[in-house]
Amino acid sequence: MSEKSSEEQLLEFLYACPVGLIECDLTGDIVMMNPHAMQHLLPLAGQRDAGNLFAALEHHAPELRSLVAAYQPTMGRICDGHRIFVDLGPGRRTQAPRVLACTIVKLGADRLMVTLSEISQQVVQEERLRQADTWFATLLDGVNEYAALAVDRAGVITAANPCFTRQTGFDHVAALGRDLAEVLQSDNTGGDLRLGEQIEIAGRDGWHLQEGWQARANGERYWCQRLVVAQSETDTSPYTGFSVILRDVPRREAAAEDVRRLLTRDHLTGAANRRHFSQAMEREQAHWRELRQSLSLIVLDLDHFKSVNDTYGHPMGDLLLCRVAEVCATLLPPRGIFARLGGEEFGALLPRYDREQALGLAEQMRERIAGILLDTPNGVLTATASLGCATLEEAGGSIDALIKLADERLYAAKQAGRNQVHRLTADAA
Amino acid sequence: MTIEEACFEAISLRDLETMSAAEQDALPFGVVGFGADTIVQRYNATEARMSGLDPSTVLGVPFFDAVAQCMNNFMIAQRFEDEPRIDDIVPYVLTLRMRPTKVRLKLLAEPDMPRRYVLIER
Repeated sequence: MSEKSSEEQLLEFLYACPVGLIECDLTGDIVMMNPHAMQHLLPLAGQRDAGNLFAALEHHAPELRSLVAAYQPTMGRICDGHRIFVDLGPGRRTQAPRVLACTIVKLGADRLMVTLSEISQQVVQEERLRQADTWFATLLDGVNEYAALAVDRAGVITAANPCFTRQTGFDHVAALGRDLAEVLQSDNTGGDLRLGEQIEIAGRDGWHLQEGWQARANGERYWCQRLVVAQSETDTSPYTGFSVILRDVPRREAAAEDVRRLLTRDHLTGAANRRHFSQAMEREQAHWRELRQSLSLIVLDLDHFKSVNDTYGHPMGDLLLCRVAEVCATLLPPRGIFARLGGEEFGALLPRYDREQALGLAEQMRERIAGILLDTPNGVLTATASLGCATLEEAGGSIDALIKLADERLYAAKQAGRNQVHRLTADAA
Repeated sequence: MTIEEACFEAISLRDLETMSAAEQDALPFGVVGFGADTIVQRYNATEARMSGLDPSTVLGVPFFDAVAQCMNNFMIAQRFEDEPRIDDIVPYVLTLRMRPTKVRLKLLAEPDMPRRYVLIER
């Protein structure tokens, strides 16, 4: 042991360290890194330069570059356990989707220390715990208060218990023989799947659980946990029908809602933030793969926004951004998400919307934005926007290609004179 | 085969197996030989110089876990698990002495040979 030099000991220690350690400058150029860091970085880098942290992670965590750029102090913790979701889609089912945690500390004007570690299993555990938690938390509240139904493979109700009447207001006897999806109008749920979609997934995976708004017979809505389980006569036979269980759960507490808002909303406009939008895109892409329903994206950019800030001042510019977010959000369909993607750039993600529907909505957004009038000390401020639409089908199922296509069309709308929705020449004819 | 003939491209797993430790030490590229359990059995002097590690500390340890974590992914380590026969050269980036270093790796495995090899050329 004593023969070993201290340098050798130190190297041995760093070679064996099961956490990735990286030192780089503010542009991301790596000065030193240990093998564990390279184990993660090189497969992510693809054709890009693995010797630059931001280049290597450009595809999976582009926000790191801007997080670092936006950090003003000369020293301090820029991010702590920032999660990098490596796999966009559901990935191979035998493995947990890969998630890395990244911590960046700024040590000087041009010096960053970075750690990378894999937390895939931990994230899977969190997800399981969260699901179990939502389900079992209410078990304690009232074990009898769940509405239980049986439906056949076509979704027709074959049995329902009296609690179904107490919870939803629909008569459980009269419901027999009716289509469950017709009885339970849950079309106005937030980001959730329709009952028919849940049944489709349960038919494949055995079960599906979700939370969302549900309407009672009197039109009132309540927060409902809905579990759909496939039933079969024997272990080997294919399923013959489904059990559906509904629980009326009190809405999450206000404090938790605040935290959720903080994490998912743009601070200025109240629109969804980029991270939330990208998570929603991933979720909807997975639904798209499973259910093959259309999914559309609108991107919009305010015209000549810089001159608004220059002429009317930043507070007025900010006010305009808020109004744009406000008018566009009111046009959104039930599962749509409206987000601020950049300075004056917004996006709307539209599940179940085909291209024509998206173009129609984009045109409505354009009109509403053009109708905004803001009184300012320098006179009335008006605005226009240019918009581009694309569908996931057109993009071959790739989120990156979807964004790129919509951006290209937005740019074409700008080139064609602004204040318009880009249409393909075939549409215009 | 003489050392002059043993170039990175041409050298085979069988060539390496017939060499003495001193002959392997004289090669201009790094040589790491390990068993199916990834325990290191050969670690030549060239590789020791590049990595800064004494061969005595590397011999007997699991290669991909303790020394070469940067290769412990689907690009390298997984291939030795999946493919019984490999003779391939791949461009790679190692972290020799904790500095990102572009290298070429030669991966060698044969089903009836107990030792596999990773050769490292800077």
